[in-house]
Amino acid sequence: MKDDEVKKAVKEGYAKIAKKSCSCCGPAVDACGTPRGSQVSKGIGYTDEELKAIPEDADMGLGCGNPVALSSLREGETVLDLGSGGGIDCFLAAGRVGEKGKVIGVDMTAEMVERARENAKRGGFENVEFRLGDIEDVPADDGSVDVIISNCVINLSPDKGKVFKEAFRVLRPGGRMFVSDIVLLKELPEAVRADMAAYVGCLSGAVLREDYIGLIEQAGFQDVRIRTESGCSMEVLSNDPTVSAMMSNFNLSREEAEEAIGSVISVIVEGTRPA
Amino acid sequence: MDILCCPVCKSDLELKIEREDGDEIVTGDLFCPKCDHAFKIEDGIPNLLPPDFK
Repeated sequence: MKDDEVKKAVKEGYAKIAKKSCSCCGPAVDACGTPRGSQVSKGIGYTDEELKAIPEDADMGLGCGNPVALSSLREGETVLDLGSGGGIDCFLAAGRVGEKGKVIGVDMTAEMVERARENAKRGGFENVEFRLGDIEDVPADDGSVDVIISNCVINLSPDKGKVFKEAFRVLRPGGRMFVSDIVLLKELPEAVRADMAAYVGCLSGAVLREDYIGLIEQAGFQDVRIRTESGCSMEVLSNDPTVSAMMSNFNLSREEAEEAIGSVISVIVEGTRPA
Repeated sequence: MDILCCPVCKSDLELKIEREDGDEIVTGDLFCPKCDHAFKIEDGIPNLLPPDFK
């Protein structure tokens, strides 16, 4: 797959999702084969209280963790969300940094940015801004941000190393990064890796866990550690539609399909730019 | 605005406002003198995708 083709497919895929009015829709093949929407968000670490505090439309069920919950944000901090989607994590962060703080969401899909902006207006969030941008070429000054967050997006970037280098650049010395993402315990079968729909669904773009950590360290981050890690549940593994879909879509045996699904995990990784 | 920069060369951008609504800039340009490129602000959203981004 060529990088520019991947980006185009990802952009188009998420533009379609953004245009849908309900929050129950996702890519055809998602990483864990789970339903989308608030049910998903509850299952990946968002509390009822958090979900009530944000515009309903902001929760599109497209995340794979709750990075803000771990980010120990302080009042007055500036936060940058790489791949902000409908804005859910920006709005949660906005509550924590307060009026003196600022949250900026960057997303390359115009439809997502429009939706997030409407959500900000509806929810009366004055300390949140959204802009159209590429997370491989972040439009923010060096050292201008206290905390970077990102949720289930960097796997979609063809050049993850560049994303982490950009994150490092825009962080102030001593700044922190909290990234929730899909990583692999084992390489996926070739048929899955070559599939664009599976790429858009946060599966084929995922890299091995150790490689992901390596890219973050190579960008210059220190104290890189995995804060939480969870696999697709046994429920999902025994969820026949997912296994059958993997088998028929990619011409895999049941064992191969189960092994592939079992190798997909979500992590929240923390790293710090040295002071 | 204070932390915005050109996505390509990271230079500061010059803001040209065409239409404002209260505090919000609805339409305008963010011009990068080094790249000689104007990034558009439309419907209140700055488009800071690199110029060659498809």
